[in-house]
Amino acid sequence: MSQSAADVLARSELEPLERPRFRAVPYLLEMQAELLQTWRQPSFSIPTLLFPAMFYFFFGIVFGQSNGYSSYLLATYGAFGVIGTALFGFGVSVAVARESGEMLLKRVAPVPPGAFLAGKMTSSLVFSGLVLAELFGLAAIFGGVRFERGEWIGLAAALLLGSLPFAALGLAIGTYASGNGAPAIINLIYLPTAFLSGLWIPIQVLPEFLQKLAVVLPPYHLSQLALGVVGRSVGQPVALHVGVLLAMTAVCLLVAARGFRR
Amino acid sequence: MTHSPDSSKAHSDNTLDDVPSGGRVLGFLVAFFAVMIAGLFALPTPTEESQVAAGDGDSADGSFAILGVRAFDGEKMLTEVDLLVTAGRIAAVGPGLEIPEGVARIDGAGQTVMPGLIDAHVHSWGSARSDAVRFGVTTMLDHFTGLDEVTAARQDREAGGATDRSDLFSAGTLATVEGGHGTQYGVAVDTVDSVEEVPEWVAARIAEGSDWIKIVVEPGWREGINTLDMERVSALIREAHARDVLAVVHVSRLDDALAVTELGADGLVHVWRDRIPTAAEVEVFKASGIFVIPTLVVAEGMADPSPSMAMAEGEWGTRLSDAQRAGLNQRFPAEAALPMDVPKESVRLLYEAGVPILAGSDAPNPATAMGLSQHRELALLVESGLSPLAALVAGTRTPAVAFKLGGPARGTLEVGAIADLVLVDGDPSLDIAATRRLTDVFKAGRRINLAASASTAEEIVAAAPEETLLSDFEDGLKTRYGFGWGETTDSIRGGASVATLTVTDGALVVTGEIKAGAMFPWAGAVVFPGPGAMEPVDLSARSELRFRVRGDGRTYTAMLFSGDMTGIPPTRTFSADGEWQTVVFALDSFNRADPSTVRGVAFTAGNPSGSFRFELDDVEIR
Repeated sequence: MSQSAADVLARSELEPLERPRFRAVPYLLEMQAELLQTWRQPSFSIPTLLFPAMFYFFFGIVFGQSNGYSSYLLATYGAFGVIGTALFGFGVSVAVARESGEMLLKRVAPVPPGAFLAGKMTSSLVFSGLVLAELFGLAAIFGGVRFERGEWIGLAAALLLGSLPFAALGLAIGTYASGNGAPAIINLIYLPTAFLSGLWIPIQVLPEFLQKLAVVLPPYHLSQLALGVVGRSVGQPVALHVGVLLAMTAVCLLVAARGFRR
Repeated sequence: MTHSPDSSKAHSDNTLDDVPSGGRVLGFLVAFFAVMIAGLFALPTPTEESQVAAGDGDSADGSFAILGVRAFDGEKMLTEVDLLVTAGRIAAVGPGLEIPEGVARIDGAGQTVMPGLIDAHVHSWGSARSDAVRFGVTTMLDHFTGLDEVTAARQDREAGGATDRSDLFSAGTLATVEGGHGTQYGVAVDTVDSVEEVPEWVAARIAEGSDWIKIVVEPGWREGINTLDMERVSALIREAHARDVLAVVHVSRLDDALAVTELGADGLVHVWRDRIPTAAEVEVFKASGIFVIPTLVVAEGMADPSPSMAMAEGEWGTRLSDAQRAGLNQRFPAEAALPMDVPKESVRLLYEAGVPILAGSDAPNPATAMGLSQHRELALLVESGLSPLAALVAGTRTPAVAFKLGGPARGTLEVGAIADLVLVDGDPSLDIAATRRLTDVFKAGRRINLAASASTAEEIVAAAPEETLLSDFEDGLKTRYGFGWGETTDSIRGGASVATLTVTDGALVVTGEIKAGAMFPWAGAVVFPGPGAMEPVDLSARSELRFRVRGDGRTYTAMLFSGDMTGIPPTRTFSADGEWQTVVFALDSFNRADPSTVRGVAFTAGNPSGSFRFELDDVEIR
């Protein structure tokens, strides 16, 4: 992502003399600042950390245990959790940074442009990791969920990696939306698509035309990848899911690059 | 970002090097992800629990003493006694016993020790015996199961009694007619089609190992159902008595109960539900010496399963196996519900007249669970008018006496009796609900692990049969090996879908309707390749599931049940259109399936709602 058009542009303005060597320190500092900033922003961290676990507890454990779908819903609420973290973590904070002038400051500061993204990415992964830790813990302790070791690890890996396309989507939204508008826009996209993708209740329960419609929704593909790890996907090819997610990533990055250039 | 002065001067060629090193965040990230990864390795897997269960320990030589305990001996309460168990049998009971050195001691203060419960009416298969024992039911009397279960139970008993599951006595199969009650379960039943057949039929049961004869008189539960006539019932009772075994009868109406009592039946395995008997009618039962197993809990479950469901909450919920939970979650059709006042009042009149009452649950019928439901039955007997002490007798000594279970003194604390013991908190002779506060169960002197996974840990896996073809349906619904075919629907998950199996022109026709209700609606056919329903068979040498199918164009699902059944079973989908086609699925394409413990294969329709029809033929696992 550090090779986006915006970065090249920024670099050409600021460092016309020589290409700097890669140095880790600015990246690390940006990560630290980002983590602290996110953590100290309860309006982001509390809903992000609590809502997926709360929803999973109600739907996946209180309701789900007697019906035996605690393990199914762990995969879908896991997708719900990491998607929310990525969308809000990127979308809202980029919009706010743009509006407050922080972004401008960063552009003129002698910081490699990639550090900004690396910082956001790190904080998004850390928060996604925390969300998954909560969900897995609830599932194992209260939901009676039992997976093979490889399935636990595969599920965590699929969800963490799978959050990255949604980070790109968040970025694209953040480059256009205003700081106040971003949360609303993200919720308008996030919540309905989560439902229609079968993240809250299993996709099989939705009316058939909605099941067919879900194929165009990216969260559906992430949830199918996660469900595939634990043997509960509807059986479409993995390449389809990965392809849709990669395509969305590419489109979002292009949109974000245009947005940055504005 | 602040740029504070820093000691690092390594990059003096750069003007902006006076910054903190960022080491703190690096350390944090490394630690964070290390903890996360370690956490992934701490999460439970399906196998870990069975290992824990297998490692359950006991006192060194199997001797132990329970000291200063209240004891129910099968008839009455004893206060402050000691009880000594050696070599799996009760060695002594009394106040102030001298306990030998080296014997493990259990403090019984505030607790009550009693004989293991006897459930006088069950249908045992799969994990039933190990499920029941975790709830303090150490002996079960079965009134219809498969031959394998009867044989296994007999072998266990002859080997001196099981130590990890309930002992089982059984009627084996039941006496009914073609199309009568008992034939609807998809299991082949040898029907009694004429009175001439009776001697041969009873002889066959005794040769198979039946401990008594069960007879079905059931004219009612569905339109057009057939039942035995009284001539055949009479002949069956006489033949059983001639061969010195008991004859017990399933009835649901008082008139039938009176009729079979006059024919000399030894026991009724349900109480009637149609009307309260008159004093004269009660006298008929009293005079005959017949005993009654009311099975109130199964009748209650038809109308209101909530008391049973409430028992499955909290700690007991964690002890339930999948089979127990599935049974509890299953429901009878709504039209089966009848008020409880007739059966309860009838039990009260019988009890007060002195007719022996035996506690039995009829588990695993819908809304019941092996073991758990016996505790509800005891409470229902108390609600009907028995004292809590009388209910305890009905759940221990009376069934042993009535079924002549024989020595040494099952259902009592007599010296020499097998040490099948239950330890509970409190005094169940004052409050019958105290039986639910189980703290320990001993089977033949061995402590039972009360956790649910104990049931699957020591399950016997049947060896693979030689044949690969399960059914070609040239000879009805029979399978070449295994337990057979059955219907499967979402009713166990609260759904309303229905399925019907018929064999036509050498193929299995599965018809039905998917109805909204369950989270994942389903209906279809299931085949059990193991010795019993959902019992495992080792098919690890097989590689594929192969069958021929045609149908209405819907998409169907093949589901493979295996392993310890903790997760949702893996599925493969196929479509069935008007032309016969052969479908082959590799067994290892069923994600997470364990071919070494195959329990069943289901062929089902799911969403969308609506009717469905498909035909199966030449079902093979090879």
